[in-house]
Amino acid sequence: MKKSEIKKLIINSLNADADTIEASGKLDEEGISYNFSENFSDKVLNKLFSAGLTVNREVEFVKYMNFIFYRIAITGVAAIIVLLISIFLREGSFSFNSFLGLSDNYDESIVCLLTGNL
Amino acid sequence: MINESYKVTEDVELVKESLNGDKNAFGEIVNRYQKMVARTVKGMLGDSVFAEDIGQEVFINLYYSLSEFRGEAKLSTYIQKIAVNLTLNEIKRRKRFFSLFSQKANNEMYEFEIADYDTEERKEASEIVNKALMGLDPKFRIIVTMRMLQGYTTKETAEILKLPLGTVLSRLSRAQEQLRNILVKL
Repeated sequence: MKKSEIKKLIINSLNADADTIEASGKLDEEGISYNFSENFSDKVLNKLFSAGLTVNREVEFVKYMNFIFYRIAITGVAAIIVLLISIFLREGSFSFNSFLGLSDNYDESIVCLLTGNL
Repeated sequence: MINESYKVTEDVELVKESLNGDKNAFGEIVNRYQKMVARTVKGMLGDSVFAEDIGQEVFINLYYSLSEFRGEAKLSTYIQKIAVNLTLNEIKRRKRFFSLFSQKANNEMYEFEIADYDTEERKEASEIVNKALMGLDPKFRIIVTMRMLQGYTTKETAEILKLPLGTVLSRLSRAQEQLRNILVKL
């Protein structure tokens, strides 16, 4: 098949009403086919069965751990965000004192509390 | 070596046998569908050794998800879905890698080793198809691969890619336009 015919075949195979099986068959006839190496299935079977079940179980375990980690991390981040919002709403700032739950005149209050002069 | 007696066995039977631990039955599934997987993976990633690794991963994933196969859909569709997902993940991974560590253009992320062809004409035809596919945007390339290389209908393509039929049709027409522009330069 000539270069121009191949190009035409490629374009026409994408027409909505094209006979896709015929087009792919023609391309196959022209040697446009994809294959894996000759012993592909042996390679797959070796990978699956030579490593043994232990390795597979380890992979499963790592997968579950990753899943659990993401769940915990997302929950943790959500909790931190809620905490920050509540601090900001209550104290009106993100200062160090507001994180500790102390207002600006804390020293006087503490003195009052300690001396008993309410 | 794959047992010859499995050649005429139905897919569902092979799945059952594989789940019972029969390696040869699973080997027959690999033999049956490796060409189909090769078309998807190599059509999307280029004809390279890396594509073969993804192909192996497809069947390894299939093995571990065989128990989830209910037999409602064809086994080929089930395998095709795994192949598409893994290939698209690989493209995303490569895109991330190249955007971080390399200045290569999108279509240079893919490599293909031109196999030995009996005639110059066939070699040229293969080069045209590979270059045209690799020049396409991945979201169009997957549609073209499904139609042009696998011979799927628009409806089947939509089902495998889990896309609405309208989306597939519009992508098909945009892919055709993009292909025309690429082919003019080849």
